[in-house]
Amino acid sequence: MQPTLERNIPTLPVTLPRPAAGLKKIAAACPAYLGWHLAGIGLLLLGWQLLAMTTHNAIVASPAATGEALYQLIISGQLVVEMAITVKRLLIALMLGGAVGFGLGVLAGFSRACRALLEPVRWVMMTLPAIFIAIFGLLWFGVGDTQVIFLVTVIAAPVVYLNTLAGFDSLDQQLIEMGRVYRFSRWQFLTDIYLPGIGFNVITGLTLAAGIGVRAVLMAEVLGAADGIGHSFNRAWTFLKTPELFAWMLVSLLLMALLELGFLKPLRRAVMRWQQQST
Amino acid sequence: MIQLNRVSKSYNGLPVINRLSLTVEPGEMVGLVGPSGAGKTTLLRLIAGLIQPDAGTIRVASSRLSYVFQEARLLPWRSAAANVAVALRANGADRQTSHMLAQDWLRQVGLAGFDHYYPAQLSGGMQQRVALARAFAVQPDILLLDEPFSHLDDGNKQELLAILRQLIESTNVTVMYVTHTIAELDGLASRILPLKSCGTLPPPARR
Repeated sequence: MQPTLERNIPTLPVTLPRPAAGLKKIAAACPAYLGWHLAGIGLLLLGWQLLAMTTHNAIVASPAATGEALYQLIISGQLVVEMAITVKRLLIALMLGGAVGFGLGVLAGFSRACRALLEPVRWVMMTLPAIFIAIFGLLWFGVGDTQVIFLVTVIAAPVVYLNTLAGFDSLDQQLIEMGRVYRFSRWQFLTDIYLPGIGFNVITGLTLAAGIGVRAVLMAEVLGAADGIGHSFNRAWTFLKTPELFAWMLVSLLLMALLELGFLKPLRRAVMRWQQQST
Repeated sequence: MIQLNRVSKSYNGLPVINRLSLTVEPGEMVGLVGPSGAGKTTLLRLIAGLIQPDAGTIRVASSRLSYVFQEARLLPWRSAAANVAVALRANGADRQTSHMLAQDWLRQVGLAGFDHYYPAQLSGGMQQRVALARAFAVQPDILLLDEPFSHLDDGNKQELLAILRQLIESTNVTVMYVTHTIAELDGLASRILPLKSCGTLPPPARR
């Protein structure tokens, strides 16, 4: 039962959305322009098919040949093994990069001196081409997990750092004044104002870092790893197994989709729960 | 007690408060009226310690001060009860007690049953009720009100003024109430100070 407002105001002046059911729920979940999205995918497949028909099959594999190669990777179990390796590296690196970027972002958000101190480091990290960092990683850590994780961490951290800082800059100063009036402790400022206030920006930073991270992890695996999706892609290229090459390309797209749906979206939902309940 | 002695404040060289002296006795209810730009809000912000004066001294003998702003200034990510409870915790209450007291204060401002509602689910008047509950929950000895109901329609404003009068009557709080509308101060101010431009005061009129 909805509570009623006392003192002559009989009903609640806001109406909350009622949970949809069945088909209505599915329809509500479907984004607008879904048909256009599907048409776009169809157009992409059509273009791919036309390209495959007009070129040699060693250069562009057809969608059907790619599907067959993908099927073989699935039934052989190779897809799951290589994907698990890449996902493990990516998640470790994103957590490391996220923690470093977030931690330093919070420090710099509170201290102008810290922000000025970190600015040159951030600039160098964001300006250095990823391929250079990858080569430094290979030089320092050799082939394997460490150099892959190193590259993605170094690329992800400044992105999360910058977004965390943007969160601090956009914080509602009126809430901070309110906290000062009511004598909030430092801990309360942190947990009741700052962290929830910058949550949206941190998640945006993590999402951007994940997008860049997927590309970086695959590049690092191509350059210097003995396993993983990137390594398998490189091997397929070396042996000119073009359908398999295209299949691994599809897997890399699948990886990003899984990361978005399985990790980033639930995280966003958990952090921004108050916003969903408010709308 | 609030004591201001020849206080001046300017923004970018533009004087807002100019050598203002004022004493508010404990338990006194003072209404500050004046046109926009007279320095009413600046005066409250000075008393609350949110800004510092350029010259003069301010003495505020208070262990707990509450401030009801023009906007409710609620934490959008916390429920109505949590918004009240967070101020209580800042003033020493433990988590469980603060939550119980918050529910009780929400009931006193007519928001029983709305504890778990987020600010965006509440109307402007209801949000300001939560702000009132927060202000009184910490049991302040000084209460500053800065045109708290100026954004509300007349019906809501009258309701909230009635609640405010009732809450003030049940405490011995020192009140400074800033408004454009002198009628709002009926029953809320024992002394009305008409603040002129640049924060200057004529000799105070007794009501």
